[in-house]
Amino acid sequence: MKKIFIKEEYCIACRLCEIYCQVEHSKSKKILKAFKNEKDILSRVLVEEVGYNSFAIQCRHCEDAPCVEACISGAMQKNKNTGIVTCDENKCVGCWMCIMACPYGVVKRDLSEKKIASKCDLCSDEEYPVCVRNCPNEALQFKDI
Amino acid sequence: MEDTIKKIKKTDEIADYLIIGNSAAGLSAVSAIRTIDKTGSILVLTNEQYKNYSKPLITYLLAGKIGLDNIYFKDDKFYEENNILLKSEINVKKINFKDKMVISDKGISFKYNKLLLANGGSPIIPKIRIVEADDFIENFKNKNINIKVKEEIITQEMLDSTNYKNISGIFTFTCLQDALQIQKYIIENKIKEAVILGGGLIGLKSAEALLEIGIKVNIIELSDRLLSATFDKYASSIIENEMKNNQSNIYTNNTINKILVKNNKLVGIELKNKEKINTKLLIIAVGVVPDLRILKESEMENEQIKYGRGIFTDEYMQTNIKDVYAAGDVVESFDFITGNKANIAIWPLAVRQGEIAGINMAGGNKIYSGGYFMNSIEILDIPSISIGLTNPADNNDGSIEIIKDFKPERKFYKKIVILEGKIIGLILVGNIDRAGIYGGLIKNEIDVKSMFQA
Repeated sequence: MKKIFIKEEYCIACRLCEIYCQVEHSKSKKILKAFKNEKDILSRVLVEEVGYNSFAIQCRHCEDAPCVEACISGAMQKNKNTGIVTCDENKCVGCWMCIMACPYGVVKRDLSEKKIASKCDLCSDEEYPVCVRNCPNEALQFKDI
Repeated sequence: MEDTIKKIKKTDEIADYLIIGNSAAGLSAVSAIRTIDKTGSILVLTNEQYKNYSKPLITYLLAGKIGLDNIYFKDDKFYEENNILLKSEINVKKINFKDKMVISDKGISFKYNKLLLANGGSPIIPKIRIVEADDFIENFKNKNINIKVKEEIITQEMLDSTNYKNISGIFTFTCLQDALQIQKYIIENKIKEAVILGGGLIGLKSAEALLEIGIKVNIIELSDRLLSATFDKYASSIIENEMKNNQSNIYTNNTINKILVKNNKLVGIELKNKEKINTKLLIIAVGVVPDLRILKESEMENEQIKYGRGIFTDEYMQTNIKDVYAAGDVVESFDFITGNKANIAIWPLAVRQGEIAGINMAGGNKIYSGGYFMNSIEILDIPSISIGLTNPADNNDGSIEIIKDFKPERKFYKKIVILEGKIIGLILVGNIDRAGIYGGLIKNEIDVKSMFQA
């Protein structure tokens, strides 16, 4: 499968990945409409920054995914064919076991409507994840593993 | 022994894999077996009448957040796709390890090549005196009158695991049937207030559900605080205050002395301190223990399986008896943090142990490197996560460092327990973001000294 690789040496902490992720996961998918009309859209990618060091991190779609193992509702599943780990929002009850289990800290609480876990879905409808496509310095790369 | 076997209806078929238990550990084992062995026959036995469902979700069901259609964690196709034979409502009575045979209480036998015990835990029912209370309600209404229970009609009957279901209004809360029965009882009896015996995880999960549907709760807890197994007094105080602000009463350092019944119906309880609470609904949530009844029945005429609080397994999840494996809430296995054997009855470990058992049963090779306690619980919109050893008992030599950040006004608490530079425990209340990172630091035994130096 293809995964997102993090090249922290190229990350300039511009946070464009976060912006594009939020837009992609908004209802309108339009940056201004999303900003004006939609509240609390979570970015599923997160820029970590300490001093001059920074990198963007999102779900690693682990082989033995701890979030899938911890999920009590069967919402968090790893697709056998694509390898993508996704959270079925209908099944998710917001118990936060995945947040407890994820060693990368990349699952968030989405409280905007019904409580659900929010995480990177690799923008599976798109050819490239939007964070990768819009990274101006190629600090995120989408490659076969 | 031979007599017993004669009575048993013999089945010629031998299951390649027989799994007792249709929940997290059992079904995780099924998936793991099928990654290696696509054709071997798998028979799953369950004492439940329902197909698979997620036990932790019964809270959400009772709270009305999900329906019965969403309580299943594996869909219908799972059994078909994995070619599993599921037999429901089979109460396994005993196991004949020598002849590799499982025997139900109705005398049906099932033969196996490899066996997995994934039958989970059963609720603890403490012994409490049952008292017939004719005058109780009437007197209770007028609080000035000294409440008198007619001593002469006190029965010698004690509440225990065999009889608690005979009294209408007393329930446990560990399986789907419990949740459905409580739900029905609440509606039929227009319950507005309940008593929960036990302020641990199950007690709070029941409280969470009842508060959600507008039922006032009274929690009776033996220790000095709620969630005493994992929380310290700071963490507990946040939850306790929030519950008290939501019309709940919390009775710590207390327990139920008498159960007051009238015509086999619960009418109230009397506490250790003689205080009485008028209630028609009592949920017993003292705890859960590994369900070892099958083994105890099997012992007389069999090879002995080794167990303590739970069934002992090696790192392959195999018991001391060859081809017999165990996984999930029924086992006592390696605690990664303390280095001791422990029964850590949590969903993620049940899934992992089941997977490891399944792989090894199917001829693969995977080792269980141990687990540690962790749980996530949200009460009245306050999320909390605790991981590992959160309350180290003794710290005489000062080797344990504790970092605390307590902001009760913001309903926030964070506690990190560090031993020799490595995190061994965590409590987060109010903000649980990125909790798993701490878990990763624990699991990988990362030295964090430099991170916490001021």
